[in-house]
Amino acid sequence: MEDASISAGDAVRRDLGARPLWSRLHLPWVAGALFLLLLPWATRNAYHHYILNLILINVILAVGLNIVKGFAGQVTVGHYAMAAIGAYASAVFAAKFGVPFWLALPAATLFTGLVGAIVGIPAFRLEGAYLALATLGLAESVRIAIGVTDYLGAAVGFSDIPPPVFFGRPVVDHIAYYYIVMPLALAGIYFSFCILRSDIGRSFKALREDSLAAAACGINVRKYKLLAFLISALYAGCAGSLQAHMAPGFLHPNSYTITEMVTLLLMVVMGGLGHIWGGVIGAAIVTVIYDLTRDYYQYQMAIFGMVIVLTVMFMPRGIGGLIDDYLAKRRFVAIRRAKANAA
Amino acid sequence: MLLEVTGLSKRFGGLVAVSKLDLSIREGEIRGIIGPNGSGKSTLFNLISGVYQAEPGGRIVFAGEDITGYPSHEIARRGIARTFQLLRIFTQMSVLENLLIGYHPHVRYGSAAATLGSASVWTEERRLKDEMMELLGFIGLTDYAEIPAGELSIGQRRLLALGRAMAMRPKLLMLDEPAAGLSPVNVDKLLSTVLALKQRYGLTVVIIEHILKVVMESCDTVTVLEHGEKIAEGAPAAIKDDHRVIEAYLGKEMGDAEVRAFLKAS
Ligand SMILES: Nc1ncnc2c1ncn2[C@@H]1O[C@H](COP(=O)(O)OP(=O)(O)OP(=O)(O)O)[C@@H](O)[C@H]1O
Ligand SMILES: [Mg+2]
Repeated sequence: MEDASISAGDAVRRDLGARPLWSRLHLPWVAGALFLLLLPWATRNAYHHYILNLILINVILAVGLNIVKGFAGQVTVGHYAMAAIGAYASAVFAAKFGVPFWLALPAATLFTGLVGAIVGIPAFRLEGAYLALATLGLAESVRIAIGVTDYLGAAVGFSDIPPPVFFGRPVVDHIAYYYIVMPLALAGIYFSFCILRSDIGRSFKALREDSLAAAACGINVRKYKLLAFLISALYAGCAGSLQAHMAPGFLHPNSYTITEMVTLLLMVVMGGLGHIWGGVIGAAIVTVIYDLTRDYYQYQMAIFGMVIVLTVMFMPRGIGGLIDDYLAKRRFVAIRRAKANAA
Repeated sequence: MLLEVTGLSKRFGGLVAVSKLDLSIREGEIRGIIGPNGSGKSTLFNLISGVYQAEPGGRIVFAGEDITGYPSHEIARRGIARTFQLLRIFTQMSVLENLLIGYHPHVRYGSAAATLGSASVWTEERRLKDEMMELLGFIGLTDYAEIPAGELSIGQRRLLALGRAMAMRPKLLMLDEPAAGLSPVNVDKLLSTVLALKQRYGLTVVIIEHILKVVMESCDTVTVLEHGEKIAEGAPAAIKDDHRVIEAYLGKEMGDAEVRAFLKAS
């Protein structure tokens, strides 16, 4: 006799594969959005609201880094410098040219995307540690250049960056700012799912695994490397702009050092390279840990670096791997139960 | 001629791997390429598929277009698919995904649409998944669609490598030792799959093979290489009587009893 429960499950699965992503993820997304809409009201503590915004900005950064590093396998250490470029570009647009936040954000995002594509060019010839060194060099030059440029506030910092203005009212309150950051973070996650599950995501994975074989399959390896750098820089640019305009509207080159980059790497590695939800969870956990250990700033890089190494050694698929294993096990148990019931 | 190669050479330092080679492949034929180990067979494939750049003076013309010096992906897009001697399938991706990668040149939506998750992307994805499932059925791996390619057996991997090349919908299919390491039963299975695919899609096939049975039974013409040079070319029956071919094989470790027996007796 036909096993009804299992074939029904298969039918659902087949059906799911056919429907567009927005409809496929309908329910979880709606429930999640509702939760996120109400989330800041769970606490009255303004500092918690600030941390919440920080988490969401880091989610955007981590999801973006995951695209270039997790999907496409390009070892870049320059992602944080991209955020710096986005932040300072947005600050210049808004503070020096009076461009409103709503225009400065997309402009800074696009500008950073462009710079990111250029930074991706060394990836044509370099791989692994060499690419990491090249991008590290570029990133450090960006930070140092900012630190000596008076126009950008040099080592004093860039202050008085205007906040977003919403219907004539400046958004300085962290709860209000949350409602700008949160939708952008959600959009970032959504786009990265779309990318991963399309031909672009497949091409990224192919060039990560074997770029020679990918080229033999007709994949323009350079184009896709560039695309990965460009997309991830768009994320970083957007996150940077959000950093710039968040109260108190102040930027300093010291918030874009190699320590911050290591922190960002930890988010993605802990979450599981190439795993989108893992990266989101990693961003949340690491942001909180980073903030709690602020007093020990000088040790952070060493400790975070060590945690990265340990994670790679003992939990190479990260939190995302644990989630996947759990889901696979649950599905296995469900199928076995369905079979037992049918018998 | 579908493929016209003239004066093709490749040097690695002092070693001449391929030397002033001429090769013409007629549309619709099955060409066998044989030769002892290190005679330059794989290097020839790597030159044609753009993995290596030929020395100046060599020319590769495919379907009337001079593709000399083109990058790999451009050559693939023009209809030349190849498999690798070491397979190079994507072991971390599912079997179905491997085929979808092969189908990449024919995906019809753009990067922007894919990023925004437009509905047209998902209808197209469904269409190409259906198409790849059909191909998967053809190579007999339907049940393994969702399984990581790294978990397949060696025989299944060879079939997948063949499938990935076929997913590119090529005009010319170049197979580098597709049957190596397979049991006789699996060799026959692979061979019949290749022949069926050729019939079905109207392919031209170039096949490098050490297993002489494969070459002798299924090829229209056989080209023999030694030290990067062509030492003989012709119908299988004529080739196996050619004294230079016999010498080339007998001189090497390839000239074991089995080959000797096959070349002389059959
Ligand atoms: N990338 C490379 N660098 C240096 N030498 C190479 C390279 N690729 C091939 N060779 C050399 O070129 C010669 C031809 O190699 P090739 O792989 O084309 O031989 P083949 O006919 O495919 O042999 P086999 O039957 O063992 O696969 C060999 O001597 C090999 O060592
Ligand atoms: Mg070879």
